Amino acid sequence: MIRILIVSSENVFADALTSIFKKKKEVTLTRAESGNQGLSMVKDQNYHLVITDEILSDMTGLEFAGKMLSVNPMINCAAASSLSHDEFHEASEGLGILMALPLKPGENHVNRLMEHLQKILQYTIS
Amino acid sequence: MMKNGRIAIPSMGSGGLDGQRSGHFGHCDVFTFVDVEDGKIKQVLTIQNQEHVQGGCMVPVNLLAGHKVNALVVGGIGMRPLMGFRQVGIDVYHDAERIDIRPVVEDLIAGKLAMITDDQVCGGGGAQRV
Repeated sequence: MIRILIVSSENVFADALTSIFKKKKEVTLTRAESGNQGLSMVKDQNYHLVITDEILSDMTGLEFAGKMLSVNPMINCAAASSLSHDEFHEASEGLGILMALPLKPGENHVNRLMEHLQKILQYTIS
Repeated sequence: MMKNGRIAIPSMGSGGLDGQRSGHFGHCDVFTFVDVEDGKIKQVLTIQNQEHVQGGCMVPVNLLAGHKVNALVVGGIGMRPLMGFRQVGIDVYHDAERIDIRPVVEDLIAGKLAMITDDQVCGGGGAQRV
């Protein structure tokens, strides 16, 4: 099973992802409603992927991704973003973000993310 | 000074002690491994890098940890892979000036190369790449 944590303080992003992931039998989904809750969860449990919203109640998604590196750099991370491709690349450089997702991701975005994740997991899961 | 251990150098082309370094470890063609025993170079090996995918920073971390690497020399690195290398116990050294592998390896063995600091990572402090 692929364990995924969604970190989102608003329901729009989390609900869009949840409805898509529900159809995927190989995925177990958990949600954190703030950055700090997410950090505490990645400290205690092992996830294959964390997906963060762009703005959380207590920090931005990229701030969360940066803080997560200190807790567990091994966890893969995707982030919602309204920035252009180049702006996102600049803002997230060094954080090792798998993919930027739109604020309302669709099934095609999730499928692309999962294909990308599988590619990485084949090299990193022993 | 390094007495015993395995050094990894991200390399271009076929690598080797007389080869040239690659500017970004994630995109290098091969890794040159230099095994050090009693402060001397015992053997030099190369291994193929794996495919680089966006966000796949932990792929080389796992690869080098699996080959029992003790030290890595980079010209540039992102914070996530740096934290990953630290987590698996691989020391990361920094040299953004020299393209040739041999002098960098000799300096590392002699204890003349500094470990990378957090403000030298790509995206965090505008670190230069080789």
